[in-house]
Amino acid sequence: MALDRNVYAKLQEIVGERWVSEDPVHLETYRCASVQTASHYGPYDNRTPVPQAVVLPGSTEEVQQVVRLCNEYKIGFKASTTFWAAAGYVGDDNSIQLDMRRMNKWEIDEKNQIAVMEPYAIAAQIQAEAMKHGLSCAITGAGCSTSILASTAGWNGGGPSTISMGNNHDNLLGAEWVLANGEIVRLGSLGSGSGWFSGEGPVFSARAVLRGGQGMGGDMGVCTRIATKLSPWPGPDHLPTYGDAPAYKADLPDNFRAYTICFPSWDAWARGYTAFYDNEIIYLGHRQFNMFGRDLKAAMIKIITDPDKQLADLNWLLEDPETQRQNADMKIDTQIVIAGMTERDLAWKEAALDEILADVGAHKSEMMLTKEMVDYTLAYLIRMGHKNLNYVYAGSYEGNMAWSSNVFVDAEWMETVVALKKKWEDEHDYFARVGGDSGLGSMTRAGGGGSTGFEFFIHYDGSDIHSVKGTRKYMDYTPIWMKEHGFGQDLGRVNDTARREDGYSYTQEEHNKLFYGTPSAHLMKYQWKMREMMNPNHLGGTYYRTLDPDYRPDAD
Amino acid sequence: MSIKEYRDMQKRCSSCNFCKWIPFDKVKSARFAENCPAQAYYQYNAYSARGRFQLGLCLVNDELKPEGETQKVIQSCLSCGACDVACKICRYNLEPYEHNLELKREVVKAGNELPVQTKMAESLKEEHTMLIGRKMADRDAWARGLSLTDARAESCDVLFFPGCQYAYERPEEARKAVRVLQRAGVKVGYLFDQDACCGGRMHQMGLQDSFEKAASANIAIWENVQAGCIVTPCGDCYHALKRRYAQLGQKKPVLHLTELLDQLIKEGRLTFTKRIEKTVTYHDPCHLGRLGEAYEPWNGHEKKIRSQIVTWEPRRPRYNGVHGVYDAPRDILKAIPGITLVEMERIREYSFCCGAGGGCRDVDPELSKWTAGERMEEARATGADVLVTACPWCVKNLSEAHSGMEVTDVLTLVCEALEEGE
Ligand SMILES: Cc1cc2nc3c(=O)[nH]c(=O)nc-3n(C[C@H](O)[C@H](O)[C@H](O)COP(=O)(O)OP(=O)(O)OC[C@H]3O[C@@H](n4cnc5c(N)ncnc54)[C@H](O)[C@@H]3O)c2cc1C
Repeated sequence: MALDRNVYAKLQEIVGERWVSEDPVHLETYRCASVQTASHYGPYDNRTPVPQAVVLPGSTEEVQQVVRLCNEYKIGFKASTTFWAAAGYVGDDNSIQLDMRRMNKWEIDEKNQIAVMEPYAIAAQIQAEAMKHGLSCAITGAGCSTSILASTAGWNGGGPSTISMGNNHDNLLGAEWVLANGEIVRLGSLGSGSGWFSGEGPVFSARAVLRGGQGMGGDMGVCTRIATKLSPWPGPDHLPTYGDAPAYKADLPDNFRAYTICFPSWDAWARGYTAFYDNEIIYLGHRQFNMFGRDLKAAMIKIITDPDKQLADLNWLLEDPETQRQNADMKIDTQIVIAGMTERDLAWKEAALDEILADVGAHKSEMMLTKEMVDYTLAYLIRMGHKNLNYVYAGSYEGNMAWSSNVFVDAEWMETVVALKKKWEDEHDYFARVGGDSGLGSMTRAGGGGSTGFEFFIHYDGSDIHSVKGTRKYMDYTPIWMKEHGFGQDLGRVNDTARREDGYSYTQEEHNKLFYGTPSAHLMKYQWKMREMMNPNHLGGTYYRTLDPDYRPDAD
Repeated sequence: MSIKEYRDMQKRCSSCNFCKWIPFDKVKSARFAENCPAQAYYQYNAYSARGRFQLGLCLVNDELKPEGETQKVIQSCLSCGACDVACKICRYNLEPYEHNLELKREVVKAGNELPVQTKMAESLKEEHTMLIGRKMADRDAWARGLSLTDARAESCDVLFFPGCQYAYERPEEARKAVRVLQRAGVKVGYLFDQDACCGGRMHQMGLQDSFEKAASANIAIWENVQAGCIVTPCGDCYHALKRRYAQLGQKKPVLHLTELLDQLIKEGRLTFTKRIEKTVTYHDPCHLGRLGEAYEPWNGHEKKIRSQIVTWEPRRPRYNGVHGVYDAPRDILKAIPGITLVEMERIREYSFCCGAGGGCRDVDPELSKWTAGERMEEARATGADVLVTACPWCVKNLSEAHSGMEVTDVLTLVCEALEEGE
């Protein structure tokens, strides 16, 4: 189906001929085959629809004109920036894809600790520039190849820096936003002409409207600029690395410490986490390397930190008694980085850490205390520049059993969930056998101690239909299991109706069924009202989650 | 291989887009963080290694044909290998560089090679050079009057393989190279009328048959040559000889001229007599650096362990880009009295291409020119007076960017510091 010639000509007029295409090679390369990418939010074994055109706008004004044109002709549009999220691809046949990469300007206001950026100033760039000013930015666990703007306005945004810097959305200091009807809104102090210092006014706040619960998912217009709060970076203005690719390491500055903490039980883990939070001692914290799996992590750490090793070395490493001992030691673990703003600060934090560890019976992993390991841990966590190790085993992963809840609740359920996943691993060959526990995630939030953002990784092979289908079975089963056990929504549950045979994103009817009766029902109803008000033509897909306030399940 | 054999790999690309950036641990500024010239210039996803995996899958599925815009995208790849290094920071089972080359072969298989490529292939076949208009009869003109060992008949320490650029376009430099080696006591051999193009660019453009014919002919000749090693001053030739010829059975050791010079300097066989008061920055040629790793034979198959972990049996060699030639040219520059070496942001395995790779000077001159300009801007940002490199293709492309900055090669500076004139 080709776009109306008038529309295409107008798009060319708006952005210039070079920056719009309907050639099949460009349309096909803006499709998300979700087995290959941000699978945990998207359709599953098919690709997203072919967009009608791909447009690369160069300015807010161009975006506005494109959006107006779409409204005039009732054509869907979806803005995306760094394309980690399946939500960033068009969700139906009559839509155009906006690739925001030409808008990549940024500036740093050192005095006010603010970075103002367009969509395609990616996290790695902003952080490199911020460090020159003694500042750093919150980087999502998805890593620094993602757009800070997208993670702030469009999608989730939690990661290792969450504990000290907050989620990306916590740091939003105003936005320039082309609404779904083409109107331009400037949020926070920006709207009153007083710069970017506050996201909450004077003038509109509307921060919650912009993002909604999870992020606007590209459904509520296009964000063209945001400002984000930066945090102090007590390290050098550039963090030089050494070592051979891919095992680059960063010399740990004297005022930093990087540890892997090993807990004797999940209860100790929960108590440790809350104490870390309460005492404000952690700069970066993530249960990170467990993404490789409970049985495999020590061996995998040895592989990824040694440029001469590779996956073929896994089996012999797993048989090595020393590696086995080290692995067992870090069964319930987490990675942390401590940063001292001064010598005294560091000494205090170290003392506090030791006291907490003694209190909960935890210790520092010996294997992870060598210079190479601490240097690797720092290089990894500071910018998440190796984040694609998520996909190391076979190229695809799904996240499930996700919870963003109180650590004491998590602690009670952990081993039950681990046992469930392990049972599937042992009984089937759908996904990698890693020892059940592949739970990963951030360590409490800046805005509320004691909660985690956790998920379990399922590593599968997107090119192997047996693996794909089996993983799908598991992903369909776990939400039912979670519901039976009184959990909230899972990533998987949100996904399962999305993973229809045609692979498109889901309809309002499906949303209704999905969200009715869940703990977050009111939020979804609120988002429904917001969407009706701000995007009445529904020109953006359905990732902004809504529940029709009039929906009743018996009417089905 | 055929493109169909890449199907699993295409599906295993996880769309992380790391292939668009230098390894993130190495990012020093927002300005010089991108690594793929084609992606940075044309911007559409298709130009990245990720996009190429997707379009490759469409070729396999018959959803796209290697023609029109698809062909243009495929042929815009500079075959510089930057995506490969970035991808392998996290992935052990993807080979984007090899896949990009396979795509180019698909274009050729479909009979869609460009007229300029056909001309280059014809020239290679008839005149043994891809430089259109050059004649085989003139190839050894540069060598006249030098007391070179005739490697067709006599043994030598090194067989000098100038490559087409030095043979035809930089004859003075080629002569100097030989004289410098001779001054250090090296017995330099040359093949005169049996010296021919390496054919490497054919390989980079997907004209595999032409490449293999040229390579096989050279390998057959070299089998009768008695030389300790083959030495070339060209980055492109180096890659062809070191990696691709080795794959075809060539067994003689291969050195880049800078490796040999570095060795001679360190052994005290060359001593500089003149100071050169200059601040220089060094540009790593892609085919000498990250693509300059030696070929390692492997004959194995994929094997899944622990249900779904994709690995290889036996262990497969992994080209990370780190074992290319990086230190020799730098050590030479540091050894020249008076020279101060300052580095650009993108160096070594994550260096940015000069724009001449993959045959793009001829196939996509617009991209090639832009890329050179981009690299020169990075060089200028260092504050250096001169950009120095070690490949004649880089010298040519970067000079033509007309950035106002001097561009030269390591050999030229070595000769100057040795006061090695004509
Ligand atoms: C392997 C993997 C690991 C992940 N780990 C984490 C994690 O640890 N923590 C976490 O929070 N998330 C995680 N995610 C999800 C992740 O948050 C998002 O994928 C990422 O933060 C945002 O993706 P992106 O920056 O590439 O943006 P995109 O994919 O470009 O966009 C994300 C969303 O924002 C919208 N959007 C993008 N740009 C604009 C714009 N200019 N205006 C309006 N809307 C826009 C898009 O339509 C899309 O819906 C992970 C995803 C993957 C695939």
